[in-house]
Amino acid sequence: MVSPAIALAFIPLLLTVLIRCRFYFVLFYRAVLVRIWRDCVTGLSREERAYQYVLTHATPGDPESILDAFDVWCSKVEFISTIGPKKGKVLDRMLMEQSPLTVLELGSHCGYTTVRIARSLPLGARLYSVEMDQRNAAIAEKIIRLAGFDDDTVELIVNPSDEVIPRLRSEYGLERLDFVFMDHWKKCYLPDLQMLEGTGLLGKGSMIVADNVLFPGAPKFLRYIRKSGLYEWKVHRATLEYSRGIRDGMAELVFQGIK
Amino acid sequence: MAMLFATWKHCVYVFATGLEDEVDTFQEEHERERHRGKRRDGERAKKKKRANGERRKRASNVGQEEEKLQARREKKGRRKRSSSDQQAEGREGDEAEQPTTKSSKAAKTRKNVKNEKTRKVEKEEKEDEADDEERNAKRKKKHGSNKKEENVEDGNKHTVKEKAGEVKKKKHKKVVETSSEKETSEEEDNEEEDSEEKEVRPETLTPEELETLKEAVDERKKLIQGLRGKPWAMKKKLVTLRESQEFVEKYEGALGKGKGRKLYAYKVMMTKKWMKFKRDFENFKTACIPWEMKIKEIESHFGSSVASYFIFLRWMYGINMILFCLTFGLVMVPEALMGRPYGTIPRKTVPRAEAPSAMDFAVLWDFGGYAQYSVLFYGYYNNQRAIGWLNAYSYMVVIRTMARNANESGVGDDNSFNFSWKMFTSWDYLIGNPETADNKFASITTIFKEAILEEQESRKDDNIHLTRFLRVLANFLVLCCLAGSGYLIYFVVRRSQKFALDGLENHTWWERNEVNMVMSLLGMFCPMLFDVISALENYHPRVALQWQLGRIFALFLGNLYTFIIALMDEINLKREEEKIVKFNITTWEASLYNISASENSTAPPVTIQPADVPRGPCWETMVGQEFVRLIISDTMTTYITLLIGDFLRAVLVRFLNYCWCWDLEAGFPSYSEFDVSGNVLGLIFNQGMIWMGAFYAPCLPALNLLRLHVSMYLQCWAVMCCNVPQERVFKASGSNNFYMAMLLVILFLSTLPAIYTIVTIPPSFDCGPFSGKKRMFDVIQETLESDFPTWFSKVFSSASNPGLVLPFILLMVLAIYYLQSTSKSYKEANVDLKKKLQTQNEENKKKNKLAALKAQMDLEEARKAASPSAEHPKNNNASPDQEADEEEDRGRGQRMYHSKNGRSPPPPRHDGHLPATRAPVPRNYHHGNQGSAGYLPGFPRESEARMHRVPSLQRH
Repeated sequence: MVSPAIALAFIPLLLTVLIRCRFYFVLFYRAVLVRIWRDCVTGLSREERAYQYVLTHATPGDPESILDAFDVWCSKVEFISTIGPKKGKVLDRMLMEQSPLTVLELGSHCGYTTVRIARSLPLGARLYSVEMDQRNAAIAEKIIRLAGFDDDTVELIVNPSDEVIPRLRSEYGLERLDFVFMDHWKKCYLPDLQMLEGTGLLGKGSMIVADNVLFPGAPKFLRYIRKSGLYEWKVHRATLEYSRGIRDGMAELVFQGIK
Repeated sequence: MAMLFATWKHCVYVFATGLEDEVDTFQEEHERERHRGKRRDGERAKKKKRANGERRKRASNVGQEEEKLQARREKKGRRKRSSSDQQAEGREGDEAEQPTTKSSKAAKTRKNVKNEKTRKVEKEEKEDEADDEERNAKRKKKHGSNKKEENVEDGNKHTVKEKAGEVKKKKHKKVVETSSEKETSEEEDNEEEDSEEKEVRPETLTPEELETLKEAVDERKKLIQGLRGKPWAMKKKLVTLRESQEFVEKYEGALGKGKGRKLYAYKVMMTKKWMKFKRDFENFKTACIPWEMKIKEIESHFGSSVASYFIFLRWMYGINMILFCLTFGLVMVPEALMGRPYGTIPRKTVPRAEAPSAMDFAVLWDFGGYAQYSVLFYGYYNNQRAIGWLNAYSYMVVIRTMARNANESGVGDDNSFNFSWKMFTSWDYLIGNPETADNKFASITTIFKEAILEEQESRKDDNIHLTRFLRVLANFLVLCCLAGSGYLIYFVVRRSQKFALDGLENHTWWERNEVNMVMSLLGMFCPMLFDVISALENYHPRVALQWQLGRIFALFLGNLYTFIIALMDEINLKREEEKIVKFNITTWEASLYNISASENSTAPPVTIQPADVPRGPCWETMVGQEFVRLIISDTMTTYITLLIGDFLRAVLVRFLNYCWCWDLEAGFPSYSEFDVSGNVLGLIFNQGMIWMGAFYAPCLPALNLLRLHVSMYLQCWAVMCCNVPQERVFKASGSNNFYMAMLLVILFLSTLPAIYTIVTIPPSFDCGPFSGKKRMFDVIQETLESDFPTWFSKVFSSASNPGLVLPFILLMVLAIYYLQSTSKSYKEANVDLKKKLQTQNEENKKKNKLAALKAQMDLEEARKAASPSAEHPKNNNASPDQEADEEEDRGRGQRMYHSKNGRSPPPPRHDGHLPATRAPVPRNYHHGNQGSAGYLPGFPRESEARMHRVPSLQRH
């Protein structure tokens, strides 16, 4: 039997681990425990609750206030994985510099990022947003319409991304993508990127932005872009949305083509 | 220092080239123009060889040494010119002549241009008139007569400018001369090419040519020698080295004459052999240093901080080797050879009661049984004196090393030139791994960011109360932690005494090894906690590292001392026991004597088996056992942590990463970094324990040697196999002496308890070398009385009386104080001198600036003087472009105004810029004129072409 003194000697280790990983514990609590509890209590899904909050707290037709309401809900009430205000600013800046005409968004979730992108697009630009989940897509649709973007600006495609990408040219009549934003399953980053390269929609200067490449992380994706040589790339280091201590990054790729 | 110097040189060079870029473009332009003229001429067109031939002919005609040198130089220039044309315009196509790699070609072009420029100054004086005439004629032809007047008028202006340009160029040359090695080497390059082109047999050479050849060879040798310190790319270095070696080999033998030649060749061969031997010997020496290659490899992967740990480990190994030799040679071997063998006296025999289990592994593992009654421990020894040597030696070595290190590290002062230091010295040139280089790069960037932030924050301090509160809180928490760990250890040691009284056999392995386990675990986990706590304090990382080290130090020391205090309690217990045993023994002996006396008074005394003799508990052996156990368990914990914390973690991270929901490698668990401070502290404390325990267990240095040996290999492997380079790579050279200082403190602190026990506690009566004496140090007196002559003891006793000792100590204190104060004053003087140097530098800079300003003013004056003279021919013309002239006048007026303006607050770029290329005149003119003529504003090609054509026209 292990003596109590030896067990006591492990207390510093325990404390260290607790303090080191406090952000992860908080995240776990907010993203998992609270969600389960609320799901049981309200009977609604998380996205529906977010939509309700936004509906009651934001001004319709004003993307700014909708985004604000989202931020408040995500940081105060529950946790939902969107891009968040800080990384969102980086994204806004990139969009301003690039002013793309055709934008593809993979994974719109509940529409936060879609609204964010759509509001900083130039006149006449078009945003294709791909969402796999039917229920999330419905919410996203509502949010987008609530923000005042019509079908000409934002087109929501409800399908998995690996089915949509090969058909972009044929069905949606796209010639070139100026800007691609990835925020869906981290495992799909790499295959989708390769698929995009295969379709030939990326031209010289097309920008691809991938969120959450460090946490939860897409190591294969990063390894690929490091090796491929097709891109000029950098990782904007930031923290995970609505959390201070977890490091995360957003990869910015500019397609250069084969030299 | 050398590294710093090299970097600095490089920087100067970069700076100079940066300045010269503008000049270069100017030169190129000029050259291109000239070349075009040349080509149109047609007869001198493409082949350099032909030009060379011509040259040589001419030179030989004159036959003068001077002339020849000049010709060579000119030829060089010609070649360079044409080759630069080749590369710049790419028209000539036959690049096969220069089969070099792309980079070296680029370098060459730059060289060429530069060379051209340096030559330029001389050219003005020396160039052949005929050449110029020809060229000018061509040019005149090329530019039709309609532009002639303009050319003339521009020409007047441009002569002035050209002269000014020349002045500037000279200045530039001076700047470049700071990196003059490069220049000379380039010239050598050219010479090499030239002489290779000659393709002449040495026999046919004239004495002058031989002379030049010899010079070339000498210069080449010089180049080879100084090549290592040059700020070039490795590729270029290699290419230059190979080329010049070939050259030297080819022509060196040819230099002597007749008989002398053979001797010379022989000499050269011998020198070469000797060099090779020396190099081999160096390699051999490096191979002889233990683990050198391993450490170098680690250094290249992880930077010098991790390597410094291993170097420290090696140094420790050396020290322990010597300690081991001392203990082994002076204590253990004599005892084993000359002392009485095992089993002759009671202290060297296992008691009867313990005999059956004495060979059991469990008992031996705890250093009981046979191990306890062996040469490994204090109790076995009979009569020895020589153990004080160990500590004396250790003190000596540590202090000597510290002094040496202090000499090395006392150079830099961090406060002045903070950014320059960071700029020029932060790179670690030993790094050879791309990933580490990336990390180093990132860390330098962050250092700069932090330094800038620090500068900013030093001006404003926000919420100092909060920071203070947090720091106090952190220290409070750390103190709590220290107290807790100290109490835990004390508690555990007391408990273990209780167990020992009950008899160890009744308890489990866990309970028996509780003390060591708890100490190792605390030593492992508490630093982690401190690390977390120190995040509260928001210190600069370097300061934070020092705090961290200090706290760990306090923790280890506290633990060690608690352990010793608990041991003291145990010693007292043992002594109580001893008293009882002693009493029992006297009665036992008496009874034995009585029995033998009553039985038969004449019978020989009964021989008793030494195993049957009852004996005291012998606290010295007990202490030694404790120490040995402690060290063993410490070693075990270290290795197990290494295996679990590093290796297992690395394996898990590596292979679980394929099927995990987040990135394990880049994200949370990641691979472990090598913890330099923790490892160094562990090593230091281990050494402290060795010093402390070596008195009671002479085997300790041997054990430690074994441990260090194993850990060298194990840690080398672990570092290379499962650690990643640190995110913040820092240089370790500064902290080396810090480690040494800690070692010294530990040495002092570890000898204290040993000395205390020696002085205060009487030795046990029946074991160890001091058995039967009242105090251990009585042996000194005894030695004095018995071993040394009587006068010595007299002297000693008179020397040790307080009347003599006290003044001596006072004197020493005074001397130390005096030395320290003088050293302080020297340091201050040093700082003053440094300040003086700095101010002088600044003054020099100012002077230079003033000189530059003055030169600029002169230039303006000259221009002013020149402009009226330029107007004269123009007015004579009374031409159709009168209007343009007027406008030009206006432009000039503007220019004058502009330049005056520019002069009064002198913009620093102005003076480097103005003479170099784009004269402001045409630009202003065009701005005024809204682009009437065929050239665009800010497109200076045409104007510059004119600028150079005109002087020659005038001469014509």
